Amino acid sequence: MRVDPSGDAPVVVCNLTKTFLDESRGTIHAVDGISFQCRESEVFGLLGANGAGKTTTLRMMSTIITPTSGSARILDHDIVKDPAGVRRSMGFYSASTALYPRLTARETIEFFARINQYPEDKVQARVNSLIERFGITEYAGVRVEKLSTGMKQKVSIARTIAHNPRIVIFDEPTIGLDVLNALEVQKAIHELRSDGRTVIFSTHIMSEAEKLCDRIAIIHRGRILACDTLAGLREATGLHYLEDIFLLYVRGPA
Amino acid sequence: MNWASLKLLFKHEMRMVLRSRRTVVTSLVLPAVLMPGLILGARYVQRQQAIQLDQTTFHYAITGPWADEARRLIERYKTAAEFRNFNLQEEYPANPDQALDDRTLHFYVRTMTVSEADLAAQDDDDTPTLGSQPVERVTGVRGLQVVFRGSQQVARTGAERMVDLMRSVRRHESYSVMTSRGFPSHPDGILALTASNVATDSQISGSNLGRFFTVVLVVWLVAAGSIVAMDIIAGEKERGTLETLITSGAGRTEIAAAKHLAIWTVGLVITFAQVVYALIYIRLNVIQLPDNFEIDLSAQSIAQLFVLFVPLAAAIAAALLIVSAYAKTYKEAQLHFFPFFVGTLVPALAAVLPGLKSRSIISFIPLVNVSVAAREVLTGRPDPLMIAVTAMVTSLTAAALIRYSAKLLTREEIVVSAQHEQAVLEGGEKLFQRRVFQWFTVMWAVTFAAVTNVPLLQSTRAQVLFNEIGIFLLGSILMIWRYRLNPREVLGIRRVRWQVWAAVLMAVPAAQVVAVAFFRIMNTIIPTPTEMLRELGKQVAPSGMPLWQMIFLMAILPAACEELAFRGVLLHGVRHRFHPIVRCLFVGIVFGVFHYTLFRIAPTALLGVILTAIAVMTGSIFPGLLFHAANNSFAIGMDAAGISLNRFDWGTYLAAFGVFFLSMHTIWRYGKGH
Repeated sequence: MRVDPSGDAPVVVCNLTKTFLDESRGTIHAVDGISFQCRESEVFGLLGANGAGKTTTLRMMSTIITPTSGSARILDHDIVKDPAGVRRSMGFYSASTALYPRLTARETIEFFARINQYPEDKVQARVNSLIERFGITEYAGVRVEKLSTGMKQKVSIARTIAHNPRIVIFDEPTIGLDVLNALEVQKAIHELRSDGRTVIFSTHIMSEAEKLCDRIAIIHRGRILACDTLAGLREATGLHYLEDIFLLYVRGPA
Repeated sequence: MNWASLKLLFKHEMRMVLRSRRTVVTSLVLPAVLMPGLILGARYVQRQQAIQLDQTTFHYAITGPWADEARRLIERYKTAAEFRNFNLQEEYPANPDQALDDRTLHFYVRTMTVSEADLAAQDDDDTPTLGSQPVERVTGVRGLQVVFRGSQQVARTGAERMVDLMRSVRRHESYSVMTSRGFPSHPDGILALTASNVATDSQISGSNLGRFFTVVLVVWLVAAGSIVAMDIIAGEKERGTLETLITSGAGRTEIAAAKHLAIWTVGLVITFAQVVYALIYIRLNVIQLPDNFEIDLSAQSIAQLFVLFVPLAAAIAAALLIVSAYAKTYKEAQLHFFPFFVGTLVPALAAVLPGLKSRSIISFIPLVNVSVAAREVLTGRPDPLMIAVTAMVTSLTAAALIRYSAKLLTREEIVVSAQHEQAVLEGGEKLFQRRVFQWFTVMWAVTFAAVTNVPLLQSTRAQVLFNEIGIFLLGSILMIWRYRLNPREVLGIRRVRWQVWAAVLMAVPAAQVVAVAFFRIMNTIIPTPTEMLRELGKQVAPSGMPLWQMIFLMAILPAACEELAFRGVLLHGVRHRFHPIVRCLFVGIVFGVFHYTLFRIAPTALLGVILTAIAVMTGSIFPGLLFHAANNSFAIGMDAAGISLNRFDWGTYLAAFGVFFLSMHTIWRYGKGH
């Protein structure tokens, strides 16, 4: 996929590569020269099977791990040269990012707003608005360890956007959730897009991608095989269902 | 450094600590309650036992050819002040052994004829001593034996008191005999003996306290810091909160610094709390100090101790942070904690060694320097310049460790666990590389616990057989089997050129001479007490063992089993982890640590480094095995022949170094890489 590294898209990923050295299997290209860019107010989906490279890509973008080569820019912050700037500009949410059990819901949101350098004089107002928005007023003073899974999910999303980032990354956010909680997460993603934020979202669930994403990148073995809107993918393949489209790209024509 | 972030993170960490019930209870509440409880409990039990023993009437019998005379002596001397509470009731059983079994007797006194006494003395000789030297027992005298059943505590105590009584009888009777045969005075009167101690009570108390002061504080600092440290990274990794934190706007340096500060603060606060508790218990007389105990600490001394221990607490906190960072889970961190704990105790014990002064190279060895300097402060002989040097060295160590811990948080394998989870799933070689440290930690702990606690393993033979076969050989086989390792690769079974074998044999005597030269130089910097060197010699070549047995047990068996374990399995496990030089140092040090005794660790670690270097250069354990066996045999042979390598001049040492260097070069030249 061709990208314009100097363009004004909020997220630009260019030839991003991550290589691991494995004793028995040799060099593994977990991510192999991925390029894409995301626009303002869109939900960009990375769709792939387990081990396709989605999480590694998002972890590089959120500066947890460093790329072997290539670059990525988030709101003019380079992920290698200015990792702190990148982290302050975005929110990262995944199944493995947990909450501090001994903090209350309010303290959690407050802490993440402050640590991401949200203006001090506006922290309380921001925290109150998020508590209200996610409907957790009743539980705001309760320690996270005592909350239900659904409530924790809401607190987790609230802490991700506590500093009001323009870019939000969701790495397989509905994994392990029941239908009701998964719907809550999907609703939150919808709302974030409506607020004008760019959401990057990875999943292996076709229905989720179909429902949420403005554009979908099909990723397999560390490479992006296709990237377009759902309509564009349908037109390019002549297939209607995303599952069929995905299988066509991953396995080739039957 | 973003100070606002650091402040926020530190406050956050402290809030987490204070909200952890486990931390607060185990570090503050339990010690406050447990310590006096244990002390008072132990004192109560001791007092009750003493009362019970004083109220006990011991039933005994007297048998043998001169029972009547023994009876008269007991009657006469049991009224002495020291035996006033020793209540005795003589019984007259037909069969005293049966009475012991039936518990109607606590013990019986068996008088023996001359021949019976000589026979009994062969098994258990009450050899007298003059000064510290044993002297010949007079033969041709009658004997007396106290027979009891040791499995009963009351019987044992009674028998011990009867032995004391009979010793008192022997002493007084011999004095009477001497006086009656014309000795001009009481034998104790031949020399007026007095002792005059010019040290003040404060200096004596300071000297006693100073030896263990650092150890006690280090135990508190490590124990208190570890409660937080284990949770602060390993626990967070396990819960997933570390990933949450590192994706926030906080920098890794600020995160590491805040965590370090939290461990440091908790360590200092809890240590301070322990000191306060101890002072309160002394004040309340729960802890009873020895008579004449007096510590005269001026404000200056307190300030000096403060300067020494605050940077030490920072260094320990940073080291704990690193230990926690390497662990993937809370449980794994606990496993790493024990060797770390022991590792800090050994250098902290430096103050116990006589002759060490801070005005030497000691001041540049972290922890050892604090231990020695603190003793000097407590004995009223502080060296301000060396205290400053010690504080600076400790502060630099702390800074280096903090820097390293911050770098650790940027390493993917430390913060991301996915790769390791894969290893757990796959098992085999990959899992072994992850578990090899744990295996060796457990092996070390088992060896240490067994050798120090199992009476059966107190002899050299039993110890060697247990360690070599039970731990090293079986442990290695178990690891090879459990992780499906390829024995060919582990052992490095490959053809080794004849030049290497020749060089190994040439290197052995040269290495011995070089080692002696090295320790002679070291001895001028850190003097080693002669007593310790003698002990070391005894361990290398124990007396009373035939030469062939010594060669087998101290040379061949250790070479075979230890090379398999250390240069085979351990080296194989870390071969992808470190640079070859670091690998040699690491395996060498681990090898040294398995030799426990303080003064054996350094020489065996040096030998371990050489052996690992040979294994790395040749890709096989067998040349090292030959070196190990030949080296130990050579040392035993020299000892047996009474030849000392200390007598050589420095020219000989230099020549030996040349030969050793040439041998190592040959091994490198004709080893694996060529």
